Amino acid sequence: MGDALTGFERHITQDRVDAYAEASGDHNPIHLNEEYASTTQFGTRIAHGMLSLALVTEMLTSAFPNSWHHGGKLKVRFSAPVFPGEIVTTYGEITEIKEEDGQLIVTCTIGCKKPDGTDAVAGQATVPLE
Amino acid sequence: MLFYVQVLLRLSKQNHKRISLAVPLISTAVVGHEFGPYDVTIHTERAIAYAKAVGGDESPDYGDSLAPVMVVAAALTELIEDLGLFSGGLQTIHAGQEASWDRPVKIGEKVDAIGRLAANSIRRGNHFATVSVSYKDSTGSEIGTSSTTIIVSGEET
Repeated sequence: MGDALTGFERHITQDRVDAYAEASGDHNPIHLNEEYASTTQFGTRIAHGMLSLALVTEMLTSAFPNSWHHGGKLKVRFSAPVFPGEIVTTYGEITEIKEEDGQLIVTCTIGCKKPDGTDAVAGQATVPLE
Repeated sequence: MLFYVQVLLRLSKQNHKRISLAVPLISTAVVGHEFGPYDVTIHTERAIAYAKAVGGDESPDYGDSLAPVMVVAAALTELIEDLGLFSGGLQTIHAGQEASWDRPVKIGEKVDAIGRLAANSIRRGNHFATVSVSYKDSTGSEIGTSSTTIIVSGEET
């Protein structure tokens, strides 16, 4: 317990946001159209929240390559928007390992931080060990 | 108005098409309302776009499988559209997300998503809604679940 997952940095460019819109089908102009986005509470385009979460799950997939997709669970809150041009950093830490019905389950805090250290996404994941 | 919306929804389901609603569905939908099923099969082109959006040098090798959260995102897009949240003037905040997966999903594998409105309340003029989704493979077996919480503002009440 207390072991950190290997996080990584990612530069969230508008190209990545555009690509995520293609991948998810979410073409909401708040992500893509600067003129429209300037009229919103954010004042500019924002990345999809699910893009930040996708980065977190990349970290989980790397940390638990054989089990994250076989019984993994997550619960997160989206705390702050990520703006194109920002560099975000994923993080995770194992907080508990327990046995349930003969299966070891790892609990981790997980998240993705903005350049100022605030959380864009934060929450918890549980992963069954092999 | 509720009757009007219900009739349109019934027609929409019968015709397997979407009908644009003047009043966003989130204004009238009650807990238990079902969405879909949506075909959230992810084909190669979208998987490539996902890798371009998310990937980096340290990215894991998914082989012929998908990141399950991509399927969740595809279902979320359908839900937001059906809830009428792409309507002008509405601002939607994705507040929270839960997801669980029993097994990997292959690129091009048929997956259907069935949503259910689990909560829908108004606080200080904002809608707080939670939609639970079940993901099923071609055999009808559930392979994952998700729950999305959104906050919608800007609606005239």
